[in-house]
Amino acid sequence: MKRSYLTITIFIVVFGFLFATNAFAAPKKLVIGHPACLSGKYAKAGEQAIGGIKACIDWVNNVYGGVLVAGKRIPLEYKYYDCESKKEGVTSLIERLITVNKVNVVFSAYSSGLTLAGAPVAERYSMVYMDHGGASDRIFQQGFKYIVQTIGPGSKYHVGTLDMIKYFDPKAKKVALAYEDSEFARMTMGGAEKHAKKLGCKIVFKRTYPKGVTDLTPLLSDMKARKPEIVVGGGHYEDGQLFARQMSDLDINVKAVSLVASATLPAYYKALGGRIAEGVMGPSHWEYGVTFSPKGAKKVGLDWIGPGQDEFVSLFKKALGKDIIPDYHAAEAGAQVLAYVKAVENMNSVDQDKVRAALGKLKFMSFYGGWDVDDTTGMQIGHSMVDMQWQDGKRVIVWPLEAATGKLIYPKPKF
Amino acid sequence: MKKTLPKYYPLIPVFAAYLIMFLIGFFVPGMWQMVALLAFYCALGQSWNIFMGMTGYVDFGYVTFIALGTYGMSLGITYCSQYEWLGIGIIVIGFILAMFLASLSALLEAFIALRLRGAYFAIACIGINEGLRYFIEGAKIWGGSEGLIYFGALVQALGRDTVNQLTSFWADFSVFIIAALAAFLNMHYMRSKIGYALTAVREDEDAAKVMGINANKYKTIAFLTSGWLGAGVGAMAWGLKLGYVYPGDVFVIHYTVECIVVVLLGGAGTLLGPVVGGLIYGLSKYWLAVIMPGFQLLIFAPIIIIIIVAAPEGVVGLLKRRLKGTRLEMFIE
Repeated sequence: MKRSYLTITIFIVVFGFLFATNAFAAPKKLVIGHPACLSGKYAKAGEQAIGGIKACIDWVNNVYGGVLVAGKRIPLEYKYYDCESKKEGVTSLIERLITVNKVNVVFSAYSSGLTLAGAPVAERYSMVYMDHGGASDRIFQQGFKYIVQTIGPGSKYHVGTLDMIKYFDPKAKKVALAYEDSEFARMTMGGAEKHAKKLGCKIVFKRTYPKGVTDLTPLLSDMKARKPEIVVGGGHYEDGQLFARQMSDLDINVKAVSLVASATLPAYYKALGGRIAEGVMGPSHWEYGVTFSPKGAKKVGLDWIGPGQDEFVSLFKKALGKDIIPDYHAAEAGAQVLAYVKAVENMNSVDQDKVRAALGKLKFMSFYGGWDVDDTTGMQIGHSMVDMQWQDGKRVIVWPLEAATGKLIYPKPKF
Repeated sequence: MKKTLPKYYPLIPVFAAYLIMFLIGFFVPGMWQMVALLAFYCALGQSWNIFMGMTGYVDFGYVTFIALGTYGMSLGITYCSQYEWLGIGIIVIGFILAMFLASLSALLEAFIALRLRGAYFAIACIGINEGLRYFIEGAKIWGGSEGLIYFGALVQALGRDTVNQLTSFWADFSVFIIAALAAFLNMHYMRSKIGYALTAVREDEDAAKVMGINANKYKTIAFLTSGWLGAGVGAMAWGLKLGYVYPGDVFVIHYTVECIVVVLLGGAGTLLGPVVGGLIYGLSKYWLAVIMPGFQLLIFAPIIIIIIVAAPEGVVGLLKRRLKGTRLEMFIE
C-alpha cells in the first residue's frame, strides 16, 4: 500500500517537474530557433541544414563580428530540437522555441508539409518564419504574413534548364515531361510546362508515373514514339536511375535529359555504371563548385555577405565534425542565416514586423547565389537554380553562366 | 443513485488528468502545444483501446480513420469556404463529413475484415489503409498526391484572428473533448451489455456465438465507435489545426504503431491505461527531443522495453494489482 502511494507520488513529482521546468529560460542573444529533422525520413537533409546554419552562425560571430543592431555587435545563437520529421513535433517545438527560448526568428523544418504545419503557430505569435525546406508554391498562396522563403519554389526547378537549352539551341522545340506522381514533382512539371510553352516549345509528351515504380518501359516507349528533343522529369533518386537506365535500354537518344532530385547526387553516376549517366543533367539549388563571388555580385549590382564557398565548406565540416561536402540543403539553410542578419541590420531592429518588412525588400548575393523574395507572399524569386551535367564522371555546373564551372555538352552523348 | 455513482468512479482520475493538463496548458505560457501533443496521444490511445481493449483484435489499419477524418475536415473547408454565409458552419460540415467517411470505412472494414481473426485481420486492415491511400493518389481524387492546402481559404472565409484562435486553441481543445468522450464511452460500454458481450467474444468468440451472442454486431459497434473517435481526432488535430493534407502524410502506419505503444505502455483494456501511456509516451518523446535532440529514439526504445518488461500488463495493470483491496481500487479500471 505504502509502495503504491510512493509510486504515485514519484510519478506526479517527476512529471510535475517536467511540466514546471518548461516555463524557465531567458534569451540573452539574437537566437535562431529551429525544429530540425534530426531523425525520421528527412534526417539526412536535417543534418545538412544544421551544419549549414552552424557554419554561417560561426562566420557571423567570429569573422563578421556579430549582428550590428543599434551600434552594438550582437552574437547569434542557435537553438534547435529534433522534430523527428513529424508534424506534431513541429507545432509543439515551435511554440516552445518562441515562448520558452524566446527566439528571434524561427527556421522551418524540412519539406513542404512540415513547413505548412509550423506556419500557423508562427503566425499566431507573429514570428518571422523562414523556409529553407518547403518548395511548394502553394505555401505562399495561403496568406501567411510572416513566412519568407529561401529555397526556390518547386515550379522553378526546370526553368533554368529550359532557358539554358534555348540559349544554346534556339531551334529545339519538342519537349517531353515525365515526372513522378508526387506533390513536389507535379509542381515542377507544372512550372516546366508553363515555361516551355512560354519559350515557344511544344509539349509532345506529358505523363506522371507512380511512386516506387519498378518499370518505366511502357511510359518510355510511348515517349519514344513522340520523338522528343528534350526530356525533363524525375522525382526521386531510385526512379531517376531507372529512368536513365531504361532510356538506354530502349535506345532513346535525345539532345538533353534533365532529372530532378536524382542526377545531382554523387552516387548517381556510380549506380548507373558511369556510361549511362554521361551527359544527364539535373537542377539543384546549389552545388559545390559554383562560382558566386563578391565580384560577381558587384557585376549584377547586389550586395555581398557571408563566407566564400571554400570558407563555407570548411566551416560546415567543422560544425558537423565530419569530412563531408555540404549539399544544397546546407547551403540554403546557411544563406537563410545571412538573409536574417542583413534584414536585422538594414532595419536596425529585431522587431518581427520590421524584420519581415526588411526581408521583403532585401536583395543580396552570397555563396548560395541571389536572394530576393516577393514582398507580399514571401516567395523566393531572386534565386536561380544551377544546372549540373555529368561529364567524364564529374559533376560540372553548366548553368547559369556566371556560376558555371564548365561548358555544356550538347547534344548529350548517346546512351 | 447509489448504484450508478460507483459505476463511473474510474472516470474521475481520467477526467482529473485531462483537467490538470488543460489547466497547465492554458495558464502556463508556452505549454499549450505540448499539452495538445499529450492530449493527441491520450485521445488516440483511448480511441484505439475501445476496440482493441474489449475485443482483443489488433487493428493495424487504425490510421485510416484518422486520415479519413482529416480528409473530411479538409473537404468541408476546401469546398464550402466559398459560401460566406456558412461562416463557422464549414467546420461543422467538415466534422460531419469526417464522421461520414469514417462510418463508411468502418462499415466496409467491418464487412471485410471483421470476419477474419488474428494476423489475417491485422493484414486486411493494413491492406485497406494502403489501398485507400493509393486509390486517392491513383484516381487523383481530393487533390490526389498533391493533397489539399486550405489554410488560405479558411482565412478568407473566417478572418485571420478567428483562424488563429481555431488552429492554435480550439482544434486542440476539441481533442481534449474527444479524449474525454472516448473515456466515457469506454466506461459506458464496459459496464453495459455491449461490454459483457465483447468480453465474452474476447475470451472465446466461438463459445460466445454458441451462447447466442451476435459477435459481429457487437464488434461492429465497438469498431464504429473507435473509428468515429479516431476520425474526430484526425479532423481536429490535423484537418483543422494544420490547414493541409497530403495522402503520404496521413495514411502512415507509424501512427497506428504509436497507438499500440501508448496503450501497451499504460495497460491494454484499461480505462486509465491510455492516459498514463499517452503521458509517458508524449512527455518522454518531447523531453528527450528537447534535451538530447537526435538521440532521443536511442534512449526512448530502451525505456519502452524496460517498462514493458517490468509491467507486461502496463503501468495501470501493475497499479491495479498493487491497489487491490485498498480504498483506491475503485478509481482504477
